[in-house]
Amino acid sequence: MYGGGNTFEGIKTDSLAQEDPVKLAAFEARIARGEKIEPTDWMPQLYRKQLIRMIEQHAHSEIIGALPEGTWITRAPGFKRKLSLMAKVQDEVGHAQLLYSAAETLGKPREQMIDDLISGKSKYSNIFNYPTFTWADCCFISWLVDAGAIVNQLANAKGSYGPYCRALDRICAEESFHLKYGHHCVIYLASGTPKQRDMFQEALNRWWPPMMHFFGPSDKISAHTEILMRWKVKMGTNDDMRNQFLDMYVPKIWELGFTIPDPLLKKNPDTGKWNYTEPDWEEFKRVINGDGPCNKERLEVRRIAEERGRWVREALKASSAEYVMPLA
Amino acid sequence: MNSLDPRVTRLPQVGEVKPKKMLDQLGTFEVFVQAKDGKAFQHEGCVHAANLEMAYVLAKETFTRRFTCVSIYVVDTRDVFASITTEGNQSTYELIEQEPSSLPKKQFEIYQLAKRGKQHVNAGVVEAGSPAEALWIAKDLYGAGKIIYNVWAIEKNKIRFTADTEKDLWLTLPEKKFRDASDYKGGDKLKEFLERQKS
Repeated sequence: MYGGGNTFEGIKTDSLAQEDPVKLAAFEARIARGEKIEPTDWMPQLYRKQLIRMIEQHAHSEIIGALPEGTWITRAPGFKRKLSLMAKVQDEVGHAQLLYSAAETLGKPREQMIDDLISGKSKYSNIFNYPTFTWADCCFISWLVDAGAIVNQLANAKGSYGPYCRALDRICAEESFHLKYGHHCVIYLASGTPKQRDMFQEALNRWWPPMMHFFGPSDKISAHTEILMRWKVKMGTNDDMRNQFLDMYVPKIWELGFTIPDPLLKKNPDTGKWNYTEPDWEEFKRVINGDGPCNKERLEVRRIAEERGRWVREALKASSAEYVMPLA
Repeated sequence: MNSLDPRVTRLPQVGEVKPKKMLDQLGTFEVFVQAKDGKAFQHEGCVHAANLEMAYVLAKETFTRRFTCVSIYVVDTRDVFASITTEGNQSTYELIEQEPSSLPKKQFEIYQLAKRGKQHVNAGVVEAGSPAEALWIAKDLYGAGKIIYNVWAIEKNKIRFTADTEKDLWLTLPEKKFRDASDYKGGDKLKEFLERQKS
Protein backbone atom coordinates (compact mmCIF):
# COMPACT_ATOMS: atom_id res chain seq x y z
CA MET A 1 0.00 0.00 0.00
CA TYR A 2 1.31 3.37 -0.80
CA GLY A 3 0.29 6.96 -1.26
CA GLY A 4 1.65 8.55 -4.35
CA GLY A 5 1.69 12.19 -5.14
CA ASN A 6 5.28 12.31 -4.04
CA THR A 7 6.54 15.65 -2.93
CA PHE A 8 9.76 16.03 -4.81
CA GLU A 9 12.47 18.24 -3.46
CA GLY A 10 12.78 21.52 -5.29
CA ILE A 11 16.37 21.10 -6.37
CA LYS A 12 17.42 23.62 -8.95
CA THR A 13 17.79 22.00 -12.31
CA ASP A 14 21.02 23.92 -12.90
CA SER A 15 22.64 21.46 -10.45
CA LEU A 16 22.87 19.35 -13.60
CA ALA A 17 25.40 21.81 -14.96
CA GLN A 18 27.90 20.40 -12.45
CA GLU A 19 27.54 16.87 -13.79
CA ASP A 20 29.94 15.37 -16.28
CA PRO A 21 28.19 15.95 -19.65
CA VAL A 22 29.57 12.76 -21.24
CA LYS A 23 28.43 10.55 -18.38
CA LEU A 24 25.10 12.34 -18.21
CA ALA A 25 24.50 11.72 -21.92
CA ALA A 26 25.36 8.02 -21.52
CA PHE A 27 23.02 7.80 -18.52
CA GLU A 28 20.16 9.40 -20.42
CA ALA A 29 20.80 7.22 -23.46
CA ARG A 30 20.60 4.11 -21.29
CA ILE A 31 17.21 5.15 -19.93
CA ALA A 32 16.00 6.06 -23.40
CA ARG A 33 16.94 2.54 -24.56
CA GLY A 34 14.70 1.18 -21.83
CA GLU A 35 17.55 -0.25 -19.77
CA LYS A 36 17.49 -0.16 -15.97
CA ILE A 37 19.94 1.78 -13.86
CA GLU A 38 21.76 -0.40 -11.34
CA PRO A 39 23.43 0.62 -8.06
CA THR A 40 26.94 0.34 -9.52
CA ASP A 41 26.13 2.60 -12.50
CA TRP A 42 27.01 6.26 -12.63
CA MET A 43 24.00 8.50 -11.95
CA PRO A 44 23.46 12.24 -11.50
CA GLN A 45 23.14 13.49 -7.92
CA LEU A 46 19.65 14.78 -8.66
CA TYR A 47 18.52 11.30 -9.72
CA ARG A 48 20.01 9.65 -6.64
CA LYS A 49 18.49 12.21 -4.26
CA GLN A 50 15.00 12.11 -5.71
CA LEU A 51 14.95 8.32 -5.84
CA ILE A 52 16.06 7.97 -2.23
CA ARG A 53 13.34 10.41 -1.28
CA MET A 54 10.68 8.63 -3.29
CA ILE A 55 11.52 5.05 -2.25
CA GLU A 56 11.95 6.10 1.36
CA GLN A 57 8.52 7.81 1.41
CA HIS A 58 7.06 4.67 -0.10
CA ALA A 59 8.67 2.44 2.56
CA HIS A 60 7.48 4.70 5.39
CA SER A 61 3.97 4.65 3.92
CA GLU A 62 3.92 0.86 4.12
CA ILE A 63 4.95 0.93 7.79
CA ILE A 64 2.59 3.74 8.83
CA GLY A 65 -0.20 2.42 6.57
CA ALA A 66 -0.25 -0.78 8.60
CA LEU A 67 -1.36 1.20 11.68
CA PRO A 68 -4.90 2.38 10.77
CA GLU A 69 -5.76 -1.13 9.54
CA GLY A 70 -3.94 -2.82 12.40
CA THR A 71 -6.34 -1.03 14.73
CA TRP A 72 -9.08 -3.39 13.55
CA ILE A 73 -7.24 -6.72 13.93
CA THR A 74 -8.49 -7.22 17.47
CA ARG A 75 -12.07 -6.37 16.47
CA ALA A 76 -12.35 -7.83 12.97
CA PRO A 77 -15.78 -9.39 12.35
CA GLY A 78 -15.06 -13.09 12.57
CA PHE A 79 -12.07 -15.37 12.54
CA LYS A 80 -11.66 -15.48 8.76
CA ARG A 81 -11.52 -11.68 8.44
CA LYS A 82 -9.08 -11.54 11.31
CA LEU A 83 -6.74 -14.01 9.61
CA SER A 84 -6.92 -12.12 6.33
CA LEU A 85 -6.34 -8.74 7.93
CA MET A 86 -3.36 -10.04 9.88
CA ALA A 87 -1.86 -11.49 6.70
CA LYS A 88 -2.43 -8.19 4.91
CA VAL A 89 -0.84 -6.08 7.63
CA GLN A 90 2.11 -8.48 7.75
CA ASP A 91 2.49 -8.06 3.98
CA GLU A 92 2.61 -4.27 4.28
CA VAL A 93 5.41 -4.43 6.81
CA GLY A 94 7.22 -6.93 4.58
CA HIS A 95 6.88 -4.52 1.65
CA ALA A 96 8.57 -1.83 3.72
CA GLN A 97 11.54 -4.18 4.23
CA LEU A 98 11.91 -4.70 0.46
CA LEU A 99 11.66 -0.97 -0.18
CA TYR A 100 14.14 0.05 2.52
CA SER A 101 16.61 -2.40 0.94
CA ALA A 102 16.09 -0.82 -2.48
CA ALA A 103 16.66 2.69 -1.06
CA GLU A 104 19.78 1.47 0.76
CA THR A 105 21.42 0.52 -2.52
CA LEU A 106 21.48 4.27 -3.25
CA GLY A 107 23.60 4.91 -0.18
CA LYS A 108 21.26 5.89 2.65
CA PRO A 109 21.51 3.45 5.59
CA ARG A 110 18.26 1.92 6.82
CA GLU A 111 18.48 3.16 10.39
CA GLN A 112 18.96 6.70 9.17
CA MET A 113 15.70 6.42 7.24
CA ILE A 114 13.92 5.21 10.37
CA ASP A 115 15.42 8.10 12.38
CA ASP A 116 14.18 10.53 9.75
CA LEU A 117 10.68 9.07 9.89
CA ILE A 118 10.50 9.43 13.67
CA SER A 119 11.91 12.96 13.69
CA GLY A 120 9.38 13.99 11.04
CA LYS A 121 12.09 14.83 8.51
CA SER A 122 10.79 12.39 5.91
CA LYS A 123 7.16 12.08 4.96
CA TYR A 124 4.76 9.24 4.35
CA SER A 125 1.45 9.09 2.54
CA ASN A 126 -0.90 11.70 3.91
CA ILE A 127 -3.96 9.46 3.86
CA PHE A 128 -2.76 7.47 6.87
CA ASN A 129 -3.13 10.53 9.08
CA TYR A 130 -6.88 9.88 9.15
CA PRO A 131 -8.57 7.60 11.71
CA THR A 132 -10.45 4.33 11.12
CA PHE A 133 -13.60 4.86 13.20
CA THR A 134 -15.44 1.73 12.08
CA TRP A 135 -14.78 -1.59 10.39
CA ALA A 136 -16.07 -0.01 7.18
CA ASP A 137 -13.20 2.54 7.27
CA CYS A 138 -10.82 -0.40 7.43
CA CYS A 139 -12.59 -1.97 4.42
CA PHE A 140 -12.33 1.31 2.52
CA ILE A 141 -8.54 1.26 3.01
CA SER A 142 -8.19 -2.41 2.06
CA TRP A 143 -10.13 -1.96 -1.14
CA LEU A 144 -9.77 1.58 -2.41
CA VAL A 145 -6.59 2.93 -0.85
CA ASP A 146 -4.85 -0.25 -1.95
CA ALA A 147 -6.39 0.16 -5.39
CA GLY A 148 -4.93 3.68 -5.59
CA ALA A 149 -1.59 2.32 -4.43
CA ILE A 150 -1.62 -0.35 -7.12
CA VAL A 151 -2.28 2.27 -9.82
CA ASN A 152 0.84 4.08 -8.63
CA GLN A 153 2.97 1.03 -8.12
CA LEU A 154 2.22 -0.55 -11.49
CA ALA A 155 3.30 2.72 -13.12
CA ASN A 156 6.44 2.99 -11.00
CA ALA A 157 7.39 -0.63 -11.68
CA LYS A 158 8.14 0.51 -15.25
CA GLY A 159 10.57 3.12 -13.92
CA SER A 160 14.30 3.23 -14.49
CA TYR A 161 15.87 2.14 -11.20
CA GLY A 162 16.44 -1.66 -11.21
CA PRO A 163 16.26 -2.47 -7.47
CA TYR A 164 13.07 -0.38 -7.03
CA CYS A 165 11.37 -2.02 -10.02
CA ARG A 166 12.23 -5.50 -8.77
CA ALA A 167 10.86 -4.70 -5.30
CA LEU A 168 7.68 -3.31 -6.88
CA ASP A 169 7.16 -6.42 -9.00
CA ARG A 170 7.13 -8.53 -5.84
CA ILE A 171 4.90 -6.04 -4.04
CA CYS A 172 2.33 -5.82 -6.84
CA ALA A 173 2.02 -9.60 -6.98
CA GLU A 174 1.13 -9.64 -3.27
CA GLU A 175 -1.19 -6.65 -3.47
CA SER A 176 -3.59 -8.53 -5.74
CA PHE A 177 -4.79 -10.46 -2.68
CA HIS A 178 -5.30 -7.19 -0.75
CA LEU A 179 -7.46 -5.74 -3.48
CA LYS A 180 -9.63 -8.86 -3.82
CA TYR A 181 -9.94 -9.16 -0.06
CA GLY A 182 -10.94 -5.47 0.25
CA HIS A 183 -13.53 -5.76 -2.50
CA HIS A 184 -14.89 -8.93 -0.90
CA CYS A 185 -15.31 -7.10 2.44
CA VAL A 186 -17.16 -4.21 0.77
CA ILE A 187 -19.46 -6.51 -1.25
CA TYR A 188 -20.46 -8.15 2.04
CA LEU A 189 -21.24 -4.79 3.63
CA ALA A 190 -23.10 -3.60 0.52
CA SER A 191 -25.30 -6.69 0.30
CA GLY A 192 -25.85 -6.81 4.06
CA THR A 193 -28.29 -5.06 6.37
CA PRO A 194 -29.25 -1.37 5.95
CA LYS A 195 -27.05 -0.67 8.97
CA GLN A 196 -24.04 -2.29 7.25
CA ARG A 197 -24.74 -0.30 4.08
CA ASP A 198 -24.95 2.93 6.05
CA MET A 199 -21.70 2.10 7.77
CA PHE A 200 -19.88 1.84 4.45
CA GLN A 201 -21.60 4.92 3.01
CA GLU A 202 -20.41 6.93 6.02
CA ALA A 203 -16.87 5.60 5.62
CA LEU A 204 -16.97 6.55 1.93
CA ASN A 205 -18.08 10.07 2.85
CA ARG A 206 -15.20 10.41 5.32
CA TRP A 207 -12.50 8.94 3.07
CA TRP A 208 -13.36 10.41 -0.31
CA PRO A 209 -11.59 13.76 0.22
CA PRO A 210 -8.31 12.16 1.45
CA MET A 211 -8.62 9.65 -1.41
CA MET A 212 -8.70 12.51 -3.91
CA HIS A 213 -5.68 14.03 -2.14
CA PHE A 214 -3.91 10.67 -2.34
CA PHE A 215 -2.46 11.24 -5.81
CA GLY A 216 -1.16 14.70 -4.94
CA PRO A 217 -1.94 18.11 -6.39
CA SER A 218 -1.81 18.76 -10.14
CA ASP A 219 1.79 18.91 -11.24
CA LYS A 220 3.09 22.23 -12.29
CA ILE A 221 4.81 21.29 -15.48
CA SER A 222 8.23 22.66 -14.74
CA ALA A 223 11.63 21.87 -16.18
CA HIS A 224 12.17 19.83 -13.04
CA THR A 225 9.10 17.58 -13.55
CA GLU A 226 10.10 17.21 -17.16
CA ILE A 227 13.54 15.90 -16.17
CA LEU A 228 12.11 13.47 -13.62
CA MET A 229 9.74 12.10 -16.23
CA ARG A 230 12.48 11.80 -18.83
CA TRP A 231 14.60 9.89 -16.29
CA LYS A 232 11.61 7.64 -15.54
CA VAL A 233 11.60 8.55 -11.87
CA LYS A 234 8.10 9.91 -12.17
CA MET A 235 6.02 7.79 -14.52
CA GLY A 236 2.94 9.93 -14.99
CA THR A 237 1.44 13.14 -13.71
CA ASN A 238 -0.56 13.09 -10.49
CA ASP A 239 -3.68 13.95 -12.48
CA ASP A 240 -3.11 10.99 -14.83
CA MET A 241 -2.90 8.63 -11.87
CA ARG A 242 -6.02 10.10 -10.26
CA ASN A 243 -7.91 9.83 -13.53
CA GLN A 244 -6.89 6.22 -13.98
CA PHE A 245 -8.07 5.39 -10.46
CA LEU A 246 -11.44 7.10 -11.00
CA ASP A 247 -11.84 5.31 -14.30
CA MET A 248 -11.31 1.90 -12.76
CA TYR A 249 -13.09 2.25 -9.42
CA VAL A 250 -15.90 4.81 -9.59
CA PRO A 251 -18.06 2.41 -11.67
CA LYS A 252 -17.38 -0.36 -9.14
CA ILE A 253 -18.47 1.88 -6.24
CA TRP A 254 -21.60 2.99 -8.10
CA GLU A 255 -22.40 -0.61 -9.01
CA LEU A 256 -22.77 -1.35 -5.28
CA GLY A 257 -25.29 1.46 -4.99
CA PHE A 258 -23.19 3.86 -2.96
CA THR A 259 -23.09 7.63 -3.45
CA ILE A 260 -19.75 9.33 -3.91
CA PRO A 261 -19.88 12.65 -2.05
CA ASP A 262 -19.01 14.85 -5.02
CA PRO A 263 -21.91 16.26 -7.09
CA LEU A 264 -19.52 17.26 -9.90
CA LEU A 265 -18.01 13.80 -10.34
CA LYS A 266 -18.69 12.78 -13.93
CA LYS A 267 -16.74 11.39 -16.81
CA ASN A 268 -16.43 13.71 -19.75
CA PRO A 269 -17.28 11.46 -22.72
CA ASP A 270 -15.37 13.70 -25.14
CA THR A 271 -12.03 13.78 -23.35
CA GLY A 272 -12.33 10.50 -21.40
CA LYS A 273 -11.25 12.47 -18.32
CA TRP A 274 -13.15 12.73 -15.09
CA ASN A 275 -14.49 16.03 -13.83
CA TYR A 276 -14.57 16.52 -10.08
CA THR A 277 -14.71 19.17 -7.42
CA GLU A 278 -11.20 20.47 -6.88
CA PRO A 279 -9.94 18.85 -3.65
CA ASP A 280 -9.18 21.16 -0.74
CA TRP A 281 -5.41 21.49 -1.16
CA GLU A 282 -5.16 23.80 1.85
CA GLU A 283 -6.27 20.93 4.05
CA PHE A 284 -3.84 18.61 2.26
CA LYS A 285 -0.96 20.97 3.05
CA ARG A 286 -2.09 21.44 6.62
CA VAL A 287 -2.25 17.68 7.27
CA ILE A 288 1.01 16.88 5.50
CA ASN A 289 2.71 19.48 7.67
CA GLY A 290 1.62 17.72 10.83
CA ASP A 291 -1.81 19.07 11.68
CA GLY A 292 -3.99 16.09 10.77
CA PRO A 293 -6.19 14.04 13.10
CA CYS A 294 -3.67 11.23 13.59
CA ASN A 295 -0.21 12.57 12.65
CA LYS A 296 0.93 12.71 16.25
CA GLU A 297 -0.37 9.28 17.11
CA ARG A 298 1.18 7.58 14.06
CA LEU A 299 4.66 8.94 14.79
CA GLU A 300 4.29 8.37 18.52
CA VAL A 301 3.54 4.68 17.94
CA ARG A 302 6.70 4.37 15.82
CA ARG A 303 8.72 6.31 18.38
CA ILE A 304 7.57 4.12 21.28
CA ALA A 305 8.23 0.95 19.25
CA GLU A 306 11.73 2.21 18.48
CA GLU A 307 12.50 3.03 22.09
CA ARG A 308 11.01 -0.17 23.49
CA GLY A 309 12.94 -2.24 20.95
CA ARG A 310 16.24 -0.61 21.83
CA TRP A 311 17.31 -3.19 24.41
CA VAL A 312 16.56 -5.99 21.98
CA ARG A 313 18.71 -4.42 19.28
CA GLU A 314 21.49 -3.84 21.75
CA ALA A 315 21.33 -7.37 23.09
CA LEU A 316 21.43 -8.73 19.53
CA LYS A 317 24.28 -6.60 18.37
CA ALA A 318 27.21 -8.89 17.67
CA SER A 319 30.66 -7.77 16.73
CA SER A 320 30.70 -10.44 14.02
CA ALA A 321 28.02 -8.69 11.92
CA GLU A 322 28.58 -5.33 10.31
CA TYR A 323 26.34 -3.02 8.30
CA VAL A 324 27.36 -2.72 4.68
CA MET A 325 25.46 -1.53 1.62
CA PRO A 326 23.44 -4.33 -0.01
CA LEU A 327 24.78 -5.61 -3.34
CA ALA A 328 21.81 -5.19 -5.67
CA MET B 1 -2.33 8.86 24.19
CA ASN B 2 -6.03 8.58 23.52
CA SER B 3 -6.46 6.45 20.43
CA LEU B 4 -9.25 4.54 18.72
CA ASP B 5 -6.98 1.56 19.12
CA PRO B 6 -7.03 0.39 22.76
CA ARG B 7 -3.61 -1.19 22.31
CA VAL B 8 -2.18 2.20 21.38
CA THR B 9 -3.89 3.86 24.34
CA ARG B 10 -2.24 1.32 26.63
CA LEU B 11 1.30 1.98 25.34
CA PRO B 12 3.72 3.20 28.00
CA GLN B 13 5.31 6.63 27.78
CA VAL B 14 8.95 6.63 26.73
CA GLY B 15 11.62 9.31 26.79
CA GLU B 16 13.09 10.99 23.78
CA VAL B 17 14.54 8.76 21.06
CA LYS B 18 18.05 9.79 20.17
CA PRO B 19 19.22 9.43 16.58
CA LYS B 20 21.50 6.47 16.06
CA LYS B 21 25.17 6.76 15.45
CA MET B 22 26.17 6.37 11.83
CA LEU B 23 26.04 2.68 10.86
CA ASP B 24 24.98 1.68 14.36
CA GLN B 25 22.85 -1.12 13.01
CA LEU B 26 22.63 -4.81 12.25
CA GLY B 27 24.70 -6.55 9.60
CA THR B 28 23.75 -7.10 5.96
CA PHE B 29 23.13 -10.55 4.45
CA GLU B 30 22.32 -11.57 0.89
CA VAL B 31 19.44 -13.95 0.19
CA PHE B 32 19.29 -16.61 -2.56
CA VAL B 33 16.17 -18.57 -3.46
CA GLN B 34 15.57 -21.78 -5.42
CA ALA B 35 12.07 -21.64 -6.88
CA LYS B 36 11.77 -25.27 -7.98
CA ASP B 37 13.73 -28.50 -7.73
CA GLY B 38 16.36 -28.59 -10.43
CA LYS B 39 16.22 -24.82 -11.03
CA ALA B 40 19.25 -22.69 -10.25
CA PHE B 41 19.35 -20.51 -7.15
CA GLN B 42 18.83 -16.82 -7.81
CA HIS B 43 19.79 -13.74 -5.82
CA GLU B 44 16.65 -12.17 -4.34
CA GLY B 45 17.74 -9.31 -2.11
CA CYS B 46 19.07 -8.60 1.35
CA VAL B 47 18.06 -8.67 5.00
CA HIS B 48 19.62 -7.12 8.09
CA ALA B 49 20.24 -9.36 11.06
CA ALA B 50 22.49 -9.90 14.05
CA ASN B 51 23.92 -13.16 12.73
CA LEU B 52 23.69 -15.70 9.94
CA GLU B 53 21.02 -17.82 11.65
CA MET B 54 18.73 -14.82 12.29
CA ALA B 55 19.32 -13.69 8.72
CA TYR B 56 18.07 -17.07 7.55
CA VAL B 57 14.84 -16.75 9.57
CA LEU B 58 14.21 -13.19 8.36
CA ALA B 59 14.98 -14.16 4.76
CA LYS B 60 12.35 -16.86 4.92
CA GLU B 61 9.79 -14.33 6.20
CA THR B 62 10.71 -11.57 3.79
CA PHE B 63 11.12 -13.45 0.53
CA THR B 64 9.18 -16.70 0.82
CA ARG B 65 6.22 -15.63 2.95
CA ARG B 66 3.91 -15.90 -0.02
CA PHE B 67 5.77 -17.39 -2.93
CA THR B 68 6.56 -21.02 -2.61
CA CYS B 69 10.09 -22.21 -3.14
CA VAL B 70 12.01 -25.36 -2.34
CA SER B 71 15.09 -23.91 -0.70
CA ILE B 72 16.82 -20.68 0.33
CA TYR B 73 20.22 -19.73 1.67
CA VAL B 74 21.88 -16.65 3.12
CA VAL B 75 25.43 -15.34 3.34
CA ASP B 76 27.08 -12.30 4.91
CA THR B 77 27.35 -9.59 2.22
CA ARG B 78 31.03 -9.22 3.07
CA ASP B 79 31.59 -12.83 2.01
CA VAL B 80 30.43 -12.12 -1.55
CA PHE B 81 33.42 -11.44 -3.78
CA ALA B 82 32.24 -9.38 -6.77
CA SER B 83 33.86 -8.60 -10.12
CA ILE B 84 33.77 -5.22 -11.85
CA THR B 85 30.47 -4.54 -13.62
CA THR B 86 30.76 -4.10 -17.39
CA GLU B 87 28.30 -3.16 -20.08
CA GLY B 88 27.61 -3.26 -23.81
CA ASN B 89 29.65 -5.99 -25.51
CA GLN B 90 32.25 -6.26 -22.81
CA SER B 91 32.12 -9.28 -20.52
CA THR B 92 33.29 -8.84 -16.95
CA TYR B 93 35.46 -11.94 -17.44
CA GLU B 94 37.65 -9.98 -19.87
CA LEU B 95 38.82 -7.93 -16.89
CA ILE B 96 39.68 -10.93 -14.74
CA GLU B 97 43.36 -11.76 -14.60
CA GLN B 98 44.83 -15.08 -13.67
CA GLU B 99 45.43 -15.18 -9.95
CA PRO B 100 46.88 -18.50 -8.87
CA SER B 101 46.57 -19.33 -5.21
CA SER B 102 48.58 -21.86 -3.25
CA LEU B 103 46.08 -21.93 -0.40
CA PRO B 104 44.16 -25.15 0.29
CA LYS B 105 41.27 -25.63 -2.14
CA LYS B 106 37.76 -24.65 -1.08
CA GLN B 107 34.46 -24.67 -2.90
CA PHE B 108 32.89 -21.48 -4.24
CA GLU B 109 29.36 -20.89 -5.55
CA ILE B 110 29.49 -18.79 -8.74
CA TYR B 111 26.73 -16.30 -9.55
CA GLN B 112 26.48 -14.57 -12.93
CA LEU B 113 24.55 -11.57 -14.15
CA ALA B 114 23.78 -12.23 -17.82
CA LYS B 115 21.14 -9.56 -18.39
CA ARG B 116 20.99 -6.02 -17.06
CA GLY B 117 17.96 -5.34 -14.88
CA LYS B 118 17.78 -9.01 -13.84
CA GLN B 119 19.31 -10.76 -10.86
CA HIS B 120 22.40 -12.90 -10.42
CA VAL B 121 21.80 -16.58 -11.15
CA ASN B 122 23.84 -19.52 -9.92
CA ALA B 123 26.14 -21.01 -12.56
CA GLY B 124 27.75 -23.77 -10.51
CA VAL B 125 30.52 -24.56 -8.06
CA VAL B 126 34.28 -24.28 -8.56
CA GLU B 127 37.23 -25.31 -6.39
CA ALA B 128 39.87 -22.69 -5.76
CA GLY B 129 42.28 -21.38 -3.13
CA SER B 130 40.85 -17.84 -3.16
CA PRO B 131 37.73 -16.09 -4.47
CA ALA B 132 39.84 -14.31 -7.10
CA GLU B 133 41.14 -17.64 -8.34
CA ALA B 134 37.56 -18.97 -8.30
CA LEU B 135 36.50 -16.22 -10.73
CA TRP B 136 39.42 -17.06 -12.99
CA ILE B 137 38.40 -20.72 -13.06
CA ALA B 138 34.74 -19.77 -13.62
CA LYS B 139 35.79 -17.73 -16.64
CA ASP B 140 36.61 -20.87 -18.65
CA LEU B 141 33.91 -23.04 -17.11
CA TYR B 142 30.90 -20.74 -17.34
CA GLY B 143 31.92 -17.56 -19.12
CA ALA B 144 33.30 -18.79 -22.44
CA GLY B 145 31.58 -17.23 -25.43
CA LYS B 146 29.02 -15.37 -23.33
CA ILE B 147 28.66 -11.79 -22.24
CA ILE B 148 28.43 -11.75 -18.47
CA TYR B 149 28.19 -8.33 -16.86
CA ASN B 150 29.02 -9.23 -13.30
CA VAL B 151 30.11 -12.34 -11.43
CA TRP B 152 30.24 -13.26 -7.74
CA ALA B 153 32.19 -15.95 -5.91
CA ILE B 154 30.88 -17.08 -2.51
CA GLU B 155 32.79 -19.52 -0.34
CA LYS B 156 30.48 -22.45 0.26
CA ASN B 157 31.24 -22.99 3.91
CA LYS B 158 30.26 -19.40 4.72
CA ILE B 159 26.70 -20.07 3.52
CA ARG B 160 23.75 -20.97 5.74
CA PHE B 161 21.98 -23.58 3.58
CA THR B 162 18.54 -25.12 4.08
CA ALA B 163 18.99 -28.65 5.41
CA ASP B 164 16.90 -31.44 3.89
CA THR B 165 15.08 -31.82 7.18
CA GLU B 166 14.05 -28.14 7.04
CA LYS B 167 12.42 -28.27 3.64
CA ASP B 168 8.99 -28.80 5.18
CA LEU B 169 9.18 -25.10 6.19
CA TRP B 170 7.29 -24.32 2.98
CA LEU B 171 4.82 -27.17 3.09
CA THR B 172 2.26 -25.21 5.13
CA LEU B 173 1.59 -22.70 2.36
CA PRO B 174 -1.15 -24.57 0.46
CA GLU B 175 -3.28 -24.51 3.62
CA LYS B 176 -3.04 -20.74 3.85
CA LYS B 177 -5.59 -20.07 1.15
CA PHE B 178 -6.69 -16.89 2.88
CA ARG B 179 -3.49 -15.27 1.62
CA ASP B 180 -4.42 -15.87 -1.97
CA ALA B 181 -6.54 -13.62 -4.20
CA SER B 182 -8.41 -16.70 -5.49
CA ASP B 183 -9.89 -17.22 -2.03
CA TYR B 184 -11.96 -14.04 -2.32
CA LYS B 185 -14.65 -14.80 -4.82
CA GLY B 186 -17.29 -12.14 -4.29
CA GLY B 187 -18.78 -12.50 -7.77
CA ASP B 188 -21.81 -14.63 -6.86
CA LYS B 189 -22.69 -12.46 -3.90
CA LEU B 190 -22.37 -9.36 -6.07
CA LYS B 191 -24.55 -10.83 -8.83
CA GLU B 192 -27.21 -11.88 -6.36
CA PHE B 193 -27.14 -8.38 -4.85
CA LEU B 194 -27.47 -6.67 -8.25
CA GLU B 195 -30.41 -8.89 -9.19
CA ARG B 196 -32.11 -8.13 -5.90
CA GLN B 197 -31.68 -4.40 -6.60
CA LYS B 198 -33.33 -4.75 -10.01
CA SER B 199 -36.42 -6.59 -8.76
